[in-house]
Amino acid sequence: MEAVTAESSAVIEFNEAVKDYGGNRRIGPVNLKIGKGEIVGFLGPNGSGKTTCIRLILGLIRSSSGTVKVNGFDPIANHVEALRHVAYSPELPNIQTFLSPRELLNLISHELYFPDNADRRSEIDQVIELVGLHDYAETKVGKLSKGMIQRLSVAQALVGSPKTLILDEPMIGLDPAGVAHFRDVFRDFASHGKGTVFMSSHIMSEVESLCTSVAMIHHGKILFKGSADEVVGKVLDYSLVELETTPLSPQTIQQLKEIPGITQINIADSGKKDTTAIEITVGEHDQDIRPLIADIVVKSGAKLYTIKQGENMLERAYIEALKEKKGGQL
Amino acid sequence: MKRAEVIFTFARYEIKRAIARKKVLALVAFTILLTILPYYALSQTGTSIITAADAPYVNPYLWVLAVILVGPLFLNFTAILIAAGSMSEEYEQGTAELLLSKPVRRSDYITGKFLGGYILFLFILVLTLVLSIASAFTFFGVQKDLYLIPGLFVAQAFSSLLFFSLAFMLGELIRRSSLAYIFSSAIFFSSFIISLFLSAIFRFTGKVVYKTVQMYLPTSAAGSLPVQYALPRLPSTLSTVLTFVSTSTTPASTISFSIEILLVYTIVAIAIAAAYFLHADISRKLS
Repeated sequence: MEAVTAESSAVIEFNEAVKDYGGNRRIGPVNLKIGKGEIVGFLGPNGSGKTTCIRLILGLIRSSSGTVKVNGFDPIANHVEALRHVAYSPELPNIQTFLSPRELLNLISHELYFPDNADRRSEIDQVIELVGLHDYAETKVGKLSKGMIQRLSVAQALVGSPKTLILDEPMIGLDPAGVAHFRDVFRDFASHGKGTVFMSSHIMSEVESLCTSVAMIHHGKILFKGSADEVVGKVLDYSLVELETTPLSPQTIQQLKEIPGITQINIADSGKKDTTAIEITVGEHDQDIRPLIADIVVKSGAKLYTIKQGENMLERAYIEALKEKKGGQL
Repeated sequence: MKRAEVIFTFARYEIKRAIARKKVLALVAFTILLTILPYYALSQTGTSIITAADAPYVNPYLWVLAVILVGPLFLNFTAILIAAGSMSEEYEQGTAELLLSKPVRRSDYITGKFLGGYILFLFILVLTLVLSIASAFTFFGVQKDLYLIPGLFVAQAFSSLLFFSLAFMLGELIRRSSLAYIFSSAIFFSSFIISLFLSAIFRFTGKVVYKTVQMYLPTSAAGSLPVQYALPRLPSTLSTVLTFVSTSTTPASTISFSIEILLVYTIVAIAIAAAYFLHADISRKLS
C-alpha cells in the first residue's frame, strides 16, 4: 500500500486525471499538486470542473483515466487511508434536516470511530463554540438559516482534528462578521504549516487575503497554479495605483503621465465633495512608483488623501485569464 | 470491532432517518388498522364463516389469521416502502455525499443502511404479531398455540427479506425513490397477479408447467413460508378458514424449496445492490 513519503510530500496530487461524463462533458486532464501547509484557492467559472475535482479528491467519483492521490493513497481503492485526516465542507450543504447540529456532529464523530467519552463531547462543544453555533446546538437543521447551515458545514469538517480541509465555497451565506471569523479559523488551521486547506471560491478578495497560492481551472484544465502575486504577474502586464486627492490641475496630470511606466490615467468622481479618484495604470508592475506620484501631487499643492496599490488584482487577472483563454493559450 | 460500531452507527442513523420521514408513523397506523379491523369485522359477521359448532375449535386460533392475511400483502409492501427509499432518498436529498466524504468504507455504510431499514421492518412485524394476538384475544377470547409465534416471526422476517432486498437494490440502481417504489411495487403486484392467473390456469388445464412457473415467482416464495410453517402445526379445523381468507394457496412444495427460492432472490438482489454501490459514482443531489 502506497503512502506519503518524504519524496512525495504532496497531500493532494492529480496526475493526468480525467473524468469523462459521456457526451461532451469531460473534465481534465488535470495535473495539480497541493503540498502540506498550503492554503490553496481553487478558482474557476461555473462548470469549469472545480466540484468534479473535489469529488475526485473525496473518492465520491472515479477518474476515467489518470490518477488522483490523497495522502499518497487512491481515495477510491483506499478510501479510509486516503481520507483519514481529510475533512470536507460542501457548498450549500445538504445536511440531514432531522438532526440538530450536536446530533450531526455526534454522528460524524461516531462515523470517525471516536469513542463516546468526555473528550469527544468536549471536542464537539469546542467546535460548536468555534463556529458560533452555541445558541443553535439543539435546533433541528431544518429550522436553521442558510448562514447557520454553512457554519455547521464547516463545524462538521472540523470534528476529528483533520489535517486537510477541503472547502467548497465556505463563505457563502455568511454575514461579514462570520466571513472575518472563518477567515481567522482557516488561517489558524493552516498556521505554521500544520494544516492544508484546499478551498474553492468565487470571492476573489477572500482568496487573495487568505490563500498562499491559487489554482485556476477552466474547461476542466488547470490554467495556472502559484501564489496570487505570481498569477497576477503571469496574467496581467500592468499594475494599478489608486489615489484620492483634491482635483488636480492639467499640468499635474501631465507631470504624472511623464513618469516612466505610466500608460494610462483615469480620473473619476470619488463621490466625496472636492475629492477625485484617480486610477493610474503602470506598464511594468514590479516597480513601485507610488513615492514619485505622491511627490508630484503634494508639490502641486493638491491634498493627497490616499495612495495605494490597486486592489482586486487577482479578480482582474482571473477575468483577464478567462478572456485570453477564449482567444488562445495563457 | 470498530467497523461493527460504524455499521451500527449507520443502522441507527437509518432508523432515525426513516422515522423522521414519517414513514414509520404511517406504517404503524396502517398496522393498527389492518390488525384490528379484520378481527372486528369477523366478530361481527363471523358466524356465516365460522359456524357455532366449529367456533370452539377455530376461535382460539384466530390470532394466526392476521399473520396469514397481513403477511403476504401488507408486510411485503411495508418492506418495499422502507427499503426502496433507504438509498435513493439519500441521493435525492444529497445527504449521502456528506457521510461518504468521511473516511468510512462504503461497505460499512450500505450494510448499516440495510440493517437499519430491516430492523425497522422487524419492528413493524413485531407490532403486527402483537396486535394480531391482542385483537384475537379481545374479540374471540383466549388464544392457543402461541408457541408458534417465534417460528412465524422468523418465517415472516425471512420471507419479507426477499422484497426488502429487491426494493433496496432498485433504490440503489435507480436512485430515485418514487421510481424505486413504483418498480418494486410493480414487481410485487405483477408477481402476485400472475401467480393467481397461473394458479387458475393450472386448475383449469392441469398442466404442471403453470404450477412450476408459479413456484418460482417471488411472491410465491415470499408468501409460502409462514403458511408452510404454521399450517401443519395448527388444528385441521382451521384449514377451511385459512383457505377462505388466504389470498392464494401456497404454491411452493416444501419449506426447503421456499427457503432456497427466497435465498436466491435475496442474495442476488443484495449482491447487485452492493456491487453497484461499491463501484458506481456517488450521485449528486437531484434537482
